[in-house]
Amino acid sequence: MPTVNYVSFDGQSTQLELAEGMTIMQGAVMNGVEGIEGECSGSCACATCHCYVDDAWLAKVPAMSENEDEMLDDTASERKPNSRLSCQIKATAALDGIVIHMPEEQE
Amino acid sequence: MFRFNPYSPEIDADPFPAYATLRAEYPCFWSEDAEMWVLSRHKDIVMALNDWETFSSAKGNLVNELPGRAGSTLGTTDPPRHDRLRALIQKAVTKRALAHLMAPAQSVAQKHLEALKGREQFDFVAEFSSKYTVDLIVYLFDLPPADLETVRDKAVMMVQTDPVTRQKGPEHLAAYEWMREYAGNLVQERKKNPGEDLLSQFILSEIDGDKLKDEEILLTVTTLIMAGIESLSGFMTMLIKNITDHPEVREALVENPDLIPDAIEESLRFNTSAQRFRRCVMKETTLHGQTMKPGDFVILAYGAGNRDEDVFPNADVYDLSRKPKGHLGFGGGVHACLGTAIARLACKVAVEELLLAFPNLSKVDQELRWMPSTNFRSPLELQVKA
Repeated sequence: MPTVNYVSFDGQSTQLELAEGMTIMQGAVMNGVEGIEGECSGSCACATCHCYVDDAWLAKVPAMSENEDEMLDDTASERKPNSRLSCQIKATAALDGIVIHMPEEQE
Repeated sequence: MFRFNPYSPEIDADPFPAYATLRAEYPCFWSEDAEMWVLSRHKDIVMALNDWETFSSAKGNLVNELPGRAGSTLGTTDPPRHDRLRALIQKAVTKRALAHLMAPAQSVAQKHLEALKGREQFDFVAEFSSKYTVDLIVYLFDLPPADLETVRDKAVMMVQTDPVTRQKGPEHLAAYEWMREYAGNLVQERKKNPGEDLLSQFILSEIDGDKLKDEEILLTVTTLIMAGIESLSGFMTMLIKNITDHPEVREALVENPDLIPDAIEESLRFNTSAQRFRRCVMKETTLHGQTMKPGDFVILAYGAGNRDEDVFPNADVYDLSRKPKGHLGFGGGVHACLGTAIARLACKVAVEELLLAFPNLSKVDQELRWMPSTNFRSPLELQVKA
C-alpha cells in the first residue's frame, strides 16, 4: 500500500499507508489528520482540501484538470506553483512516499 | 437466513440493525429482494465511489431508476463528459458564490415562522421545511411562482417506490412525467428569455462548442428541482428530528448557535436522508470472496458506511462534539452532491431562526410514518411542540 507523508503547517509529520486508489484527501479525513477538510466530499468543488505537493514529487503527480485549476483560485491560503486539491490525487505505487504539506487554513 | 429488503417498510423505518449485520457478516451481499449487491462498509463504499470506471453511474444512480433518465443527468453520466457538464454549474454553487443566498434564506425562514407564531404544535414538514425549501429553490432557479404546492408534491412523489410491486408505481411515474413537462416548459421559456439564474446558465451552456442535448438539459433540470426540494427538505427534517430527539443538543444550540454547523455534519453522518445510491459493475470484481459480474447493479449504502465503527467510534451515538469528516452524507467522489453548500447554508439558517422562534421545540410522536423509498429516508410528517 502506498505511503503518504502529511506535514502540518507547524511542521508535524504523519505517515499513513493508504489503500491504492484512495485519495490524499480521504486518507487525511478518514484517519483524523488535521489540516484538510474536504467539504464537498471529493467532487473538486470547494477548495477546502488544498495542499502543497512537495517539490520533489510535483512532476510525478498527474496533471490537474481545468476545473481543479479554476477551483484553486478560490483557496483560503495562498495559491503557490505546487498547490493542488488533495481530492484529485489518488495514492498509487508511483506516488509511494509522497510528501504533502498542509496550508495554514482551509476556510 | 438474513435478508436485506430495501422495499420493506421496516427498512424505511429503521435500516440500522440490518446495516450492522451487513457490515459485520455480509460486507458484499447479494440481496435477492433488490436483485443487487449491497456494499455497507465505509472503506468499500469509498473505493467504489472513487473507481467510476469499475462502478459506473451511466446505467442510473437511483436504486429504482426512472424511465429514460440514465445517461441524461449529471449524476448518471461518467467522466470525462460528466466533469465538463458539472463544471458548468459548479461555480455557481460554491460556498463563496452562494453568499447572496443568506439574506433571502433568513427572510423566507422568518416569514414562515411568523405564520406559526402562537401555535402550540405544528408539522415541521408541511408547515415549515416544505415551504422554506420551495421558496429557496424558486429564488435560486427563478421559477415562476405559480402552483408551487404541486411542484413540491410531485418532487416528493417521484422519489418514492411502491413497497408491494417493488418498482415505481403509476403515481410515481405520473409525478415524474409531470415534472419533466414542467421542466420542459421552463427550459423553453428560459431559452427565449434567459436570466442570471442558475438554470439559465446551464441551459445556454456549450461543451467544447457543442450545445447540450435537449434531453440532458431537461432531465438535469428535473433532477435539480427534485433534489433542491425533496432532498433538502428531507434532510432538514432529519436534522430537526435529531435535535428534538436529543434535548441536550437543542439546549446547547440555543445557548451557542455557532455549534449549529456541527449538528448539521453529525446529522449528515448519523442518519442522512440519502441512504442508498446505485452503481453498475463494468469489470468483474471480487470483494470479500464474492464475485460481481459486469452488468450487475450494486447498492452503495451510505447510511451503513456512516455507522462504520472503523471510521466513527461509537457510531450509533449522536455526538454533537464529533465533527465528523469523511462521512458519506453527500455521497463522495466525482458524483458527490452538487448542492452541499446550498444544503449547509439553508439548514444553518433554518435552525438558527427556528430555535430563536421556538427555543423549547420538542418532538410529539415516538412512532413516525416514513416515506417509502429505496434511496431516501425521511418522515412524511414531523409533529413538533413549541
